[in-house]
Amino acid sequence: MTRRRWLLPYLLMAPGLLWLALFFVLPNIQMVLMSLSTGTIGTGFEFDWAFSNYVEAITRFPDNVANSLVFGGLATLLCFLIGYPLAYGIAFRGGKYKTLLLFLVIAPFFTSFLIRTISWRIILGDQGAFLGLIRDTLGLVPLNFSIIGTPLAVVSGLTYQFLPFMVLPLYVAIEKVDVRLIEAARDLYAGPWRRGGAIVGGIGGGLLAVGLMLGLRYATLDVEGIVALLTAGAFGAVVGGLIGSFLISEAFVRIIWPLSLPGVFAGSILVFIPTLGDYVNVELLGNPKTQMIGNVIQNRFLQQNDYPLAAALSFILMAAILVAIFLYARVLGTEELTGGRA
Amino acid sequence: MTDALSHLPALTRRRFLAGTGMAGTAAFLAACGTSGTSSDPGPSAGPSGDPVATGPLQFANWDAYIDLTEVGEGEYDLPSPTLDEFSAEYGVEVEYANAQIEDNESFMATIRPQLQSGVETGWDIIVLTDWMAAKVVAAGWAQAIDPAHTATAAANIRDELKGLPWDPDMTYHYPWQSGATGIGYNSVSTGRELTKVADLFDPAFAGKVTLLTESRDTFPLVHLALQGMGQASDTPAEEMTLADAEAVHAYLSTFVENDHIRAFTGNEYLQDFGSGDTWAAVVWSGDLASSAGPDDVFVFPEEGSMIWTDNMLIPKGAANKYTAELMIDWVYDVTRAARLANFIYYISPVKGVDEAIKELDPEAGDNPLLFPPADIVAKQHAQPNWSEEDEAAINELFADLTGV
Repeated sequence: MTRRRWLLPYLLMAPGLLWLALFFVLPNIQMVLMSLSTGTIGTGFEFDWAFSNYVEAITRFPDNVANSLVFGGLATLLCFLIGYPLAYGIAFRGGKYKTLLLFLVIAPFFTSFLIRTISWRIILGDQGAFLGLIRDTLGLVPLNFSIIGTPLAVVSGLTYQFLPFMVLPLYVAIEKVDVRLIEAARDLYAGPWRRGGAIVGGIGGGLLAVGLMLGLRYATLDVEGIVALLTAGAFGAVVGGLIGSFLISEAFVRIIWPLSLPGVFAGSILVFIPTLGDYVNVELLGNPKTQMIGNVIQNRFLQQNDYPLAAALSFILMAAILVAIFLYARVLGTEELTGGRA
Repeated sequence: MTDALSHLPALTRRRFLAGTGMAGTAAFLAACGTSGTSSDPGPSAGPSGDPVATGPLQFANWDAYIDLTEVGEGEYDLPSPTLDEFSAEYGVEVEYANAQIEDNESFMATIRPQLQSGVETGWDIIVLTDWMAAKVVAAGWAQAIDPAHTATAAANIRDELKGLPWDPDMTYHYPWQSGATGIGYNSVSTGRELTKVADLFDPAFAGKVTLLTESRDTFPLVHLALQGMGQASDTPAEEMTLADAEAVHAYLSTFVENDHIRAFTGNEYLQDFGSGDTWAAVVWSGDLASSAGPDDVFVFPEEGSMIWTDNMLIPKGAANKYTAELMIDWVYDVTRAARLANFIYYISPVKGVDEAIKELDPEAGDNPLLFPPADIVAKQHAQPNWSEEDEAAINELFADLTGV
């Protein structure tokens, strides 16, 4: 009887472990072996400790790595900015429609990922609805302005595709916040947070505007570009400041925000990791200058048949993500946040 | 994920116009060939020794490469009458994976591991361009086609397609269609006539130009353009060298850098012409005529064009080899070949189509897409045959252009 009880957890874990061993551990071993091999598809690949593949992988594609980090980072930031108010709204104002609203957040997943990305080509296309509005109706952009084939299209696509991954963990975190804490805070004179909100919103808005201008390559660091950056920064600061001073309350800063940080942590990881490795959005929405590291890996595997370099790149990407998560967890560690400091 | 993209459907304009939403999804699923019919390979020979047609026949092909059924006025969609009639005749289903192949390399990447390890690829017929077909045959990955089952094909194939060095006796392949690589443009968007490859680089079209992902099309064609401008060596396009490719790379880099070239695509350019995002592009000859709008025009460039043939092969491990042979024979029937050519506007490999097609459309005989006139043929070039080292180096140049 006791022996059986000792065995039980292992038996329960066995299917999962077997699954992981077969479909995670084995392929990864194979990938590492391939990443240290040399040869061509015609003659076959041979394992010979070719660390040169790693040197090549690290040194050869700086532009693509930069694209991945910038586009992935911007998409994560935008997901957060769109997702937080959304999750907040559903959690606190959703009422009896909560379930329906959450369902709407995940509803796009009922359509294929590819179909959704292809739809974006149509929406953002030169003859599409979006440009029709801002170019033809409102006249905000010049006639030869395009979105498809620009970083804007890629970041829009990424933001859209991964938004639910941000909203759901945020919702879970915000939903758990005890309303009585907020009431207590209000009783203790936690009112509007005008000055703090203006400062935080202003700085955040300014930085975001500058980051978007640079990251989406609408400005470069020459005289003209810097003027544009300063203008955009000022505009972002004013808008951010206004939003911050009117919408952020002291109760939010002291209660809800700290308690929702685990959701922010989980959400940004869930968005940033897949966007880093994504290549479909670039393939369909980008141009040759927006190619991300995922596209390089795809090209190495499928077009150049350069399996060793592709494997080395994949391994580096995976390792880099693991290290980044580890550091992120140490800095923003979820444990102490949930441990009731607030 | 990698697999997912290779299944990307290139929705043709007709299907694109036919509707979005459910219609689009349905087309996508059809393109993916996801219908879950289980395939029972069964014996390919009955008890008496006569082969029995088995199915469903798994047929992988490129987009805009088969006749379609009219589903509404001016709108066409699968199924294909040619394939439907085949099903009716032999009592086997044909699962036609339209747009399964968007370029040779990425399609091969999806089946190469299976071929190497000697397991089924899941396909009974695949369609590859000469240079890739030659590689597949040389690697021993194609099955010998039984001449006893392909008598029509053997009798009807055009003589000039026979005797190729990589398969002189039609042991492993039969051509599906031949075609040219030239330029296509939307006459309304461009607002003028394009006649040369060099016209693609008119600054007025900045950001509205795409080139092909097949390096064997893009490089030689731009080489021809450079020759026209007096900026390249005299090497004929079919023999262009690594040095010539480097010159092309240098020329194109500027246009990638200044965003003149928006993308490198396969058949997806059809969607981009449909949505107005592409005004001018390097395209394959029949596609625009069969699957794009009335303002989308193909021209054989003044500098010359590329000529190639896509070939049907039966990959090793095919579950329905006999049915595949029946299919090869089926499309070599003159009447069927004429109907197919009249729909897709490519060059038929079948003798006598020039006569038979007149019954379908009296003017088709004069269509230069189907029957290129002598002055165009004189300026056509085969795709270059690079050595393995040169190919690797040129692929690197190409990868650099496409940003990866």
